[in-house]
Amino acid sequence: MALQVYTASLLKEGLVAYLCLEDGASSWTSDIRGATAGDGDLLETLKIAAEKAERDNLIIAPYVVDVLEAENGWKATTKREQIRADGPTIALPRDASAASTTDEGRKAA
Amino acid sequence: MYQYSEQDHQLLLERVEQFRGQVQRRLKGQLSEDEFKHQRLRNGLYLQLHAYMLRVAIPYGLLSAEQMRTLAHIARKYDKGYGHFSTRQNIQYNWPKLEDVPNILDDLAAVEMHAIQTSGNCIRNTTSDPLAGVARDEVEDPRPYCELIRQWSTFHPEFNFLPRKFKIAVTGAVGDRAAVAVHDIGLKLIQGPDGENGFEVYVGGGLGRTPMIGKLIRKYLPKEDMLTYLEAILRVYNQLGRRDNLYKARIKILVHETGEEKFRKLIEAEWQQIKATGLYLREQDIERIKGFFKDPDYQELPDTDADFENLLLSDPEFGRWADKNIDQHKQSGYRIVYLSLKSVNQPPGDVTADQMDAIADLADKYSLGQIRTTHRQNLVLSDVQLKDLVPLWQELKALDLATPNYNHLTDIISCPGLDFCALATARSIPISQAITERFDNYDFINDLGDLSINISGCINACGHHHVANIGILGVNKKGEEVYQLTLGGSAREDASIGKIIGPAFGADQIVDAIGDVLGVYLENREDPEETFLTAYRRLGQAPFKEKLYG
Ligand code: HEM
Ligand code: SF4
Repeated sequence: MALQVYTASLLKEGLVAYLCLEDGASSWTSDIRGATAGDGDLLETLKIAAEKAERDNLIIAPYVVDVLEAENGWKATTKREQIRADGPTIALPRDASAASTTDEGRKAA
Repeated sequence: MYQYSEQDHQLLLERVEQFRGQVQRRLKGQLSEDEFKHQRLRNGLYLQLHAYMLRVAIPYGLLSAEQMRTLAHIARKYDKGYGHFSTRQNIQYNWPKLEDVPNILDDLAAVEMHAIQTSGNCIRNTTSDPLAGVARDEVEDPRPYCELIRQWSTFHPEFNFLPRKFKIAVTGAVGDRAAVAVHDIGLKLIQGPDGENGFEVYVGGGLGRTPMIGKLIRKYLPKEDMLTYLEAILRVYNQLGRRDNLYKARIKILVHETGEEKFRKLIEAEWQQIKATGLYLREQDIERIKGFFKDPDYQELPDTDADFENLLLSDPEFGRWADKNIDQHKQSGYRIVYLSLKSVNQPPGDVTADQMDAIADLADKYSLGQIRTTHRQNLVLSDVQLKDLVPLWQELKALDLATPNYNHLTDIISCPGLDFCALATARSIPISQAITERFDNYDFINDLGDLSINISGCINACGHHHVANIGILGVNKKGEEVYQLTLGGSAREDASIGKIIGPAFGADQIVDAIGDVLGVYLENREDPEETFLTAYRRLGQAPFKEKLYG
């Protein structure tokens, strides 16, 4: 059985976020690699934290994603979730005039 | 172009302020997502795979230069510097922040635009012929009727919660450039038996998981009765449409299950009740709206221009563009120009903020300050003088908007697919890009002639794959993205739904498969005049199947 992480969208920005739990404190990161993955009791704790974040209006639409361990951390198992984690697989259109405001995929938005 | 009344302005501003309040309450936690979701969708704001997505309505695809500049400004200030023009002639922004949306809507309202009824189970933006008012094959300009429908359907209280979304398209020409056959209602202006213009009324067309061609429910509807008849159709649908099953909720299923004849009778019966109500359009009502769409003051010009003709002879690159991306205009000395949003460098339908600004400037300079969006995700400058074609082409080339491919192989319709869409089962943009790159050869594209390829990233069929000559549907098969080919569809006046040719192809095989299909056509066509579609209809699936699956 694969481990799972919690993902959601940030209410204000709409951007993708993953739940991290450290020493009982929860936070949301845009990087799936640094998310907290678990099953069993840990997953239950993650669920409670995600539901609280939803009630606190930090995030919307939380759900779980299957992950496997990759070189630098967790990686989603499905294509959909890989694309959701990494951003569109195509180059976004961009103007030369906008070149100075660098855009590392969606993460910098 | 239609100009808002004082009341229209007021209504829109009130709506923006209302939404601003809702957003503020949501951000403060006074509204839950369940409560708010409905309100944001009512204002065109979806949640997609990576971010929110805002869909802005472009009524019947008509934009002023000023509106285009506002779209550019929004892309630059609130989004990632680009927008996506959709097959429904609207524009979508893929990255707005919730807190910015009220300001975006404010900016839109200032130029008489909004995102109302671009989502949800209501009457959506009415689409039309991008060549309305300038096409040579036009019976009558459809835009005044689109505008009347817009006014009738916007905030129509009875039709705010239909069983499902509802899309209306209107064309006034012989050639169908608005895909009226695959809309919930398609209206086609024709000359009636008494010499007066009226409508053919098609009902129950649609795509999605059950694609259907609309049925001709009324052969001739007097113009004055347009709204009463639409009201009758919508009322019957609202009462009888399948609210119990999402997949059966569109009007196409109601028409199909009821049967054409019985459905026609239901509409006629309802119509008799409301025929004489206030929705009956008097001559003066129609004339008033027509006043907004009068012909501009065209100059009397010869239909030749020396510079244009010289360059046609001396510069093959210009010749290629002129051959593909220019159309005849009803007025001597003018031409219609297609701006291709299908270069190898950008996803189909995408335009950057700088490009939008430049297009607005070009519209002001060369085309009476207006731009149209098309069902095939391109743009049109509708009123360009012959003498301006050369400088316009030079500027379009510099903007990468002059790929000579209109209605040809690489003029691909593509939905956002799995790169953006939360409902997707596979990516569509990379496939369109791979096809465009592989066949980026003018002579080959030119030799193939008139041809459409459309791609959807799931069965919802936003990319209209069912009605492409060559349709591609991305599906997820055991975790792999694979692509199903359908052949023989058409979205035009000879509309038809394509047929699946066989088992799906892998992402690494689909471009080769397209190459094989094109090869079979080239080998078997009677002569270069026989289009892909005509050849396919003559040959049937067999030779294509044989080549693809051996
Ligand atoms: C937020 C992204 C989108 C979502 C969630 C979405 C959702 C859907 C769904 C669920 C359907 C099927 C409706 C049915 O069969 O009853 C549909 C159909 C359709 N959508 Fe989209 N869509 C999206 C983006 C787009 C885009 C970008 C375009 C234009 C390129 C588009 C144009 C259409 C069209 C033309 C149809 C088929 C016509 C019809 O039968 O309604 N959609 N869409
Ligand atoms: S066809 Fe499917 S993948 Fe494409 S935009 Fe529509 S819902 Fe999304």
